[in-house]
Amino acid sequence: MPYGLILPVVVVLGAILGYPIYSLVRLSLQQYGLFELIRHQGRYVGLHNFGLVLHDPVFWHTVVRTIIFTIANVGLTMVIGTLTALLLVRVSAWVRILLTAGLVLVWAMPPVVAVQVWNWMTNYQNGVLNYVLTELHVGNFFHHDWYATTFSQLGIVTVLIVWGALPFVIITVYAALSQVPAELVEAAEIDGARPWRVFLDVTMPVIRPVLLILTSLSILWDFGVFTQPYLLIGQPAIHPGNYLMAIYLFEEGYFKNDYGRGAAISLLMLVIVAAMSVVYVRKMVRIGEVQ
Amino acid sequence: MRLRVVVAAALAVALGVMAATAGASTGRQQANKLTVWLQVDAQSGWPDIVAAANQQFQSDHPGWTVDVQYQNWGDHLQKFDATLAGGNTPDVIEMGNTEMTKYMAAGAFADISSFKSNFANSANWLAGLAKSGMYGGHLYGVPYYAGSRVVTYRTDAWSKAGIKALPTSLSQFTSDLSKLASANKGTQGFSPVYIAGTDWYYAMSFVYDYGGSIAYTHAHKWVGNLDSKASIAGLTAWKNFWLAASKASKTSNEGNPAPYDIFSQGGAGAIIGPGWFSCCTGTKYKSVTAQFVMPSHVRGKAMPGFLGGSDLAVPAPSSNKALAADWIKDFTSTSSERGFQAKGNIPNATNLLGSSVNERAAARSWFVPAAKHWVDVENGNILRTMLSEILGGKFTVKQAATLASDNITATLNQP
Repeated sequence: MPYGLILPVVVVLGAILGYPIYSLVRLSLQQYGLFELIRHQGRYVGLHNFGLVLHDPVFWHTVVRTIIFTIANVGLTMVIGTLTALLLVRVSAWVRILLTAGLVLVWAMPPVVAVQVWNWMTNYQNGVLNYVLTELHVGNFFHHDWYATTFSQLGIVTVLIVWGALPFVIITVYAALSQVPAELVEAAEIDGARPWRVFLDVTMPVIRPVLLILTSLSILWDFGVFTQPYLLIGQPAIHPGNYLMAIYLFEEGYFKNDYGRGAAISLLMLVIVAAMSVVYVRKMVRIGEVQ
Repeated sequence: MRLRVVVAAALAVALGVMAATAGASTGRQQANKLTVWLQVDAQSGWPDIVAAANQQFQSDHPGWTVDVQYQNWGDHLQKFDATLAGGNTPDVIEMGNTEMTKYMAAGAFADISSFKSNFANSANWLAGLAKSGMYGGHLYGVPYYAGSRVVTYRTDAWSKAGIKALPTSLSQFTSDLSKLASANKGTQGFSPVYIAGTDWYYAMSFVYDYGGSIAYTHAHKWVGNLDSKASIAGLTAWKNFWLAASKASKTSNEGNPAPYDIFSQGGAGAIIGPGWFSCCTGTKYKSVTAQFVMPSHVRGKAMPGFLGGSDLAVPAPSSNKALAADWIKDFTSTSSERGFQAKGNIPNATNLLGSSVNERAAARSWFVPAAKHWVDVENGNILRTMLSEILGGKFTVKQAATLASDNITATLNQP
């Protein structure tokens, strides 16, 4: 009887989530290009699309590049986020309010607007970043091209993504830190434990579940990120040498009108992200068990 | 308690009915509206001609309105694909001549061969443009306008630099560059000629000038030709010219920033682009803006210019095909074409051609390979990547050209 009561929710969720996934799987098994798009009718080719993708060296290079990109982004987000949350605990109420207000403003900014602002800031001709760095005598940044190399392009994209992701992580970890019993921390400090040990032995076990969730979410989001790199680097400068997975999917699927292949790539992305998450979760759980 | 449940249920039903009927009413198309997609070039270059065509159409068809939606070159094809999937395509769409083949082959456009005699000057359409709108002997695209590339320059900056006459060869132009650079040493980041790093339309002109090409067919297969000796000579000449002429970002494209914006801000002595760039050089330099044809490395000849152009097509799912053809007739009338010509473009028919700078430049031109998958080469940025690699020094000209050539061969030979 209780299970019968949740049936409406299951049906709705199944329709909203399940049907698109079924559609995606079906599309990945079809030859569906511009010709088929106009006629609204695909042609079944079995696993041919998957074979094409897995034999494409661009796919493998993109996977490696995106994994490295994800590790960098998630690492920076979680480390800076946790450190800032620890800071938030210690500062006075006024500073905390100001900082939180600033974080919420960043969080509220739509990604496309944020990209435009960063675009203007890092502009080659008249960006404020070049101007400030030159005036501060950090070096001669006049007409510095922040998008000259792939590393530089993805570096600026990383800064933008981490900047946008920090508010959520900081505020959530700050909330989790309020669960850490103050007496335990005090007791550990009285016993002579150094701050690093206090964090590892007292704070971490309490906030581990939250850190786990945040890191898994960050992996999901950062692996499949599209808006920021695509708009910031700009379509004319996108090529297989700086593809990220979602951009590769868009280029193959939409630009080249090979929707079947795009669907195959997205399913493979799902598998890779699931694998990354499983590896990470198992590692974290194992560390917990040893403790 | 029970009353509350009843009220809640009634509210839910009412909302549901409202949602359903609201969905139904927005689903119904506006009965008497013709949707036209033009590129932003028309919005900034000749909005008056668009308005005149709309006026003519609306007086011929009372009760009908024309909704012109302006699109960007970068994403208009994806938007078009989305409408093809959804069934709400525009009634008229402007397509670049390099984009037509792929869509004609897929059956995206309606056959408008029966309307051909209605279009002004259709017997005299420019051969190159007209060909891009034909497939399998049927007409799918009406030539709209063409354009070559010209040099738009500042007469005041050039005379101040002591340049007495316009260059008639590439080497003469190159020595003019150093005069311009030394005369403007005070302006930081001044480009004697502002050219975007990855402006492949300009770079390929050098390739064709030296006798090379992008690709050719051999035994029904496409073969990339950028790695040939002639093409490499052209690319090397381009690289040397660019490094002496432009202070633009080596990874920038010709759309962003717009070269005429750099010109209007005093950052360039000249810019390369379509003839209509003269519209937007700013109030400060309006009176000193003039144009000339880019000289070849051979004295006295013009460097081949990219013969760009647009066609107007009627998407196949449109339900207003005859009206769409009529709007196209109004927009490509002789007076409209004269209007485009006055703005610095090349009109679509040989009997309308004049002797403006742009039209003289078109006397020697080049065009992209007429391949079904050419648009994939453009979208994949194969040429742009090659150019930024050459300028940045990541690869030598030969290495970058060979990589790009192999890539082009593979892309054009896809099934």
